[in-house]
Amino acid sequence: MNAAWLPLSTLATSLFVTVVILALPEEARKLRTYINLLAAVIKLVLVILMIRRVAAGHEDVFSFQVVGGVDFVLRADALGVMFAGLSSLLWLCTTIYAIGYLEDSVNRKRFFGFFSLCVASTLGIALADNLFTFLIFYEMLTLSTYPLVVHSGTAKALNAGKIYLRYTLTGGVVLLLGTVLLYSLTGEHSFSSEEGLGNYLNDHRGLLILIFALLVGGLAVKAAMVPLHGWLPRAMVAPAPVSALLHAVAVVKAGAFGILRVIYDLYGIELSVELGVTTVLAVAASITIIYGSLRALAQVELKPRLAFSTVSQVSYVILGVCLFGPFGTIGALAHLLHQGLMKVTLFFCAGNYAEELGIHRIDEMDGAGQRMPLTSLAFTIGAMGMIGLPPVAGFITKWYLGIGAIQADMYWVVAVLVASSTLNAMYFLPIVHRLWFRPGPSHGKGSWPSEQHLGRLETHGWLLWPMVFTAMASLGAGLLAGLPFSPLDWATRVAIGEYLP
Amino acid sequence: MMTLLLTLALLWPLCIAGRAVWLSYRTPEAQRDYFSILWLSAAWPALLLAYAGEAQWVIDAWMLGGLWELNSLSRPWLAFTALLWSLAAVHARGYFAADQVNAQAGDQDAQRRLLRLSLLWPLTLLGNVALIIAQDIASFYLGFAVMTFAAYALVVHSGTREARLGGKAYLILAVIGEGLILGGFLWAAGEAETLTLQGVRESILLAEHGVWMATLLWLGFGVKAGVIGLHVWLPLAHPVAPAPASAVLSGAMIKAGLLGWISVLPLGEAAISPLLSQFGHTMLVLGLVAAFTAALYGVFQRHPKAVLAYSSISQMGMLTALVAMGLAAPEVWPLLWPGIVLFAAHHALAKGALFMGTSISEHLPRWPLPLIGGLMALPGISLVGAIGAGMVSKWSVKSPLYEMHYDSLTKLLTLAAVGTATLVSVALWRQWQQRQQGGSNGWQCGAWLGAIAAALLTPLWLPLPADTIAMPPTSEWLGIIWPLPVGVALVAVGAVLLRRSNIKVPPAGDLWWLYAKAVGAALVPVAVVSRECAKLKAASVTTSKRAEEAVMSYLTRLLAAESWMRHHASGLMMVLAVLLAALLMWEGQR
Repeated sequence: MNAAWLPLSTLATSLFVTVVILALPEEARKLRTYINLLAAVIKLVLVILMIRRVAAGHEDVFSFQVVGGVDFVLRADALGVMFAGLSSLLWLCTTIYAIGYLEDSVNRKRFFGFFSLCVASTLGIALADNLFTFLIFYEMLTLSTYPLVVHSGTAKALNAGKIYLRYTLTGGVVLLLGTVLLYSLTGEHSFSSEEGLGNYLNDHRGLLILIFALLVGGLAVKAAMVPLHGWLPRAMVAPAPVSALLHAVAVVKAGAFGILRVIYDLYGIELSVELGVTTVLAVAASITIIYGSLRALAQVELKPRLAFSTVSQVSYVILGVCLFGPFGTIGALAHLLHQGLMKVTLFFCAGNYAEELGIHRIDEMDGAGQRMPLTSLAFTIGAMGMIGLPPVAGFITKWYLGIGAIQADMYWVVAVLVASSTLNAMYFLPIVHRLWFRPGPSHGKGSWPSEQHLGRLETHGWLLWPMVFTAMASLGAGLLAGLPFSPLDWATRVAIGEYLP
Repeated sequence: MMTLLLTLALLWPLCIAGRAVWLSYRTPEAQRDYFSILWLSAAWPALLLAYAGEAQWVIDAWMLGGLWELNSLSRPWLAFTALLWSLAAVHARGYFAADQVNAQAGDQDAQRRLLRLSLLWPLTLLGNVALIIAQDIASFYLGFAVMTFAAYALVVHSGTREARLGGKAYLILAVIGEGLILGGFLWAAGEAETLTLQGVRESILLAEHGVWMATLLWLGFGVKAGVIGLHVWLPLAHPVAPAPASAVLSGAMIKAGLLGWISVLPLGEAAISPLLSQFGHTMLVLGLVAAFTAALYGVFQRHPKAVLAYSSISQMGMLTALVAMGLAAPEVWPLLWPGIVLFAAHHALAKGALFMGTSISEHLPRWPLPLIGGLMALPGISLVGAIGAGMVSKWSVKSPLYEMHYDSLTKLLTLAAVGTATLVSVALWRQWQQRQQGGSNGWQCGAWLGAIAAALLTPLWLPLPADTIAMPPTSEWLGIIWPLPVGVALVAVGAVLLRRSNIKVPPAGDLWWLYAKAVGAALVPVAVVSRECAKLKAASVTTSKRAEEAVMSYLTRLLAAESWMRHHASGLMMVLAVLLAALLMWEGQR
């Protein structure tokens, strides 16, 4: 039984909300909040429904023909619903957070409208079944994120938005070129088709490599791979919930997810290895990992440091994809989820520090653990996860990536992983040390940059609880990784599907 | 029943940590008892568990799949670890009594320090217990990491400049160690697709690069166990940590590194490769070098706790050499390992008692001085091997070596005992010089006496397999006891000889200062390169911006041409029409 309505209605939920929110007047704050939360919950329920159906072995497809040979297809497959699940779960969290964060600020209508559109695009990317559909939502994501990046409207924000558009639109054009070339070579090609592009290997080897370079080159802009990462640290001027969404699930992950689709579902992993492109990509990912960590080490402000950490961490996903073998794949897929949970936690924390105490620089964080214990605890959990210390989820992925590297006989990858862990420790542990071990304003030494008392607890409840939830989730994903439907379990399911069709 | 006890052993420290937080929020500051009886009980369930018998647990939902076990090795290990933690906790109650009074009087700094310690102490304990029980890699690594990072609070407790330096050295080396362990585990586990420590042992034994995996893991755990070269944090961290923290650091946590070696190295396997055997020999030599050089360097230290730290390095050097025998001479391992466990347990308690003793000598109780001096010396004398458990433990490692005719190693170990004797005498002498009266506390003294008793009677309570430990025959006593008088005499002679000369005390942490300089020097070219890179980047940005401007201005000029075209539209159309007509005609002519 094909429930075509399921992927469509899941996508339509967010799109519909966008329209409603943009139609509502700016002052209708309460109504907007209800609609937002209701839609987020509905979407989460729909995605859970989809996950259950995929687990039971159904793949729901919705499709119609646009012009001859070009179809618009949405399909709920295991990899897609994994990403959809992440995006809808974190959408709920970030929406709650954003409502608290933007209390009493201007232009909230615009913000929430485009916020919903952004998530709708992410969902479209997750469910897209061919390159054409993927491209539509990919570009939609680019455009819907721009108003969010420049939300504050300052000169710095506008400049960051300009740079963001330059990078992503250029990347989009390159991606489009690759797509057109591929369509001209093969015609319609579904992600779910079994055959891959192996038939073209003998006659069009060079062309296949060129198309791969164009596709992955275009996607690598959003995935923030060095040297195409320049927009990401600048986009830090966006409000905290946007940064959280950008880094955890929407833009950066969309790029990484696209690369996953290209390698696993378009080319097929055997063909990619045969063409030799995975090795090149693995080297590029390793360079990104180390370079991102080194740059993070040099930052003095919290959010740019987290941004460079993202540059480094997202490439773990790509590195895992390039390791031929099930373990690397499991590591890559699990990291897609784990990194999302951990990074969103860290950005929520950064936002809380900025809102409650006015902290932006790392050297202002001395002794903040006393003033904001839950936030600091969540930050510590996130940081431990990024370093890859058990029991946080980051350890699980690092473990699988390492095992995958050994089994693929790529020993240098283990060295990269260990070096990156050490570098992560070098830039996260000093922050944790400052939070808990240095005396600061809460011990009567100096004062916070601009302290507010937003709530009865350490800060506003809307800001606090989503962060607590994601921190617990990061911890739980590592501690109970063996449970069914944990990120690791689902990643294993997808990987088995890839390798044992 | 066992499962209940295990759950309790792991959850109880967590509950107590939670209670510490609760206390700081809900109890008025004048009534806060940071080190209540409840807090002291953190390690008790684990101690009970060690005596409850052998058991195994398999928990699939736990991380990568949990496998926990109480076996003939982990039981005695857990027993001495938990006992030392319990005694140190009691000692801490007395040690921090004055601080607690300050905190209750409203001293914010004292409150903060005590809260931090009372919160992270049970967590460190939890990590230590977990790593002993764990038989799968993930749980072991989890326990090790929790213990390592939580113990940072124990090192930096006082917050002075020296404490921060000690903490820094501790943390930097810990991170390096964690990285090495991770690399070693990944490599070994990846080759054999295993998730258990048993699997790692087999992988190292069989894999082509087994010796490199062994090296990574040996060095990684060696950071904790004070392998020469990676030992520099010990003499920096121990003098600054509070006495009960030093006791557990030097007694229990160092031993976690040793347990790591025993768990992952294929000790006592008959089919050992020549390379691994070679590695065993290297390890043996380095262990002995550490045992002797640490003694040589340590005797010149001023701070009694620094001397004791060097003594720990020296003792761990001996243990390294003994563990190395499992690789270099596998056939002796089945006889040797109970002796090593006893040696480790005895050292843990004796060193714990010695470190607690340093706090006693700073707050001498009103007892007759000779009694106190005698009690102080007891664990030291036992450590040298002249009395009690020390004698048994020395014999229990020597007799298998005798039996298998490794005479030179036994001789060297006996010589190393001379080093131990000198170190212990110097430590006691320094304590004597720096003694202070007053401020003693019953809990503090009680825990210290308990530790001395436990150290001297180690073989009686340690749950080792039956018939593995025996008293040395009286004919061997002389051979075990002689290092003590020789060591003491050496110190006395040395003190007399060096009384006149004015030698400078070498800094604690020896190689640390060398490393710091080396890293500083290595960073200079890095800074230069990064500055050049930044310049290059700025230059390329300006260049591309200029190029873009040039292209844009060209395009703008093209746009200007548009208006010219508009102006001459009709004429241009005519020209176009003529051209087209000409083209058609040319087409027609062909």
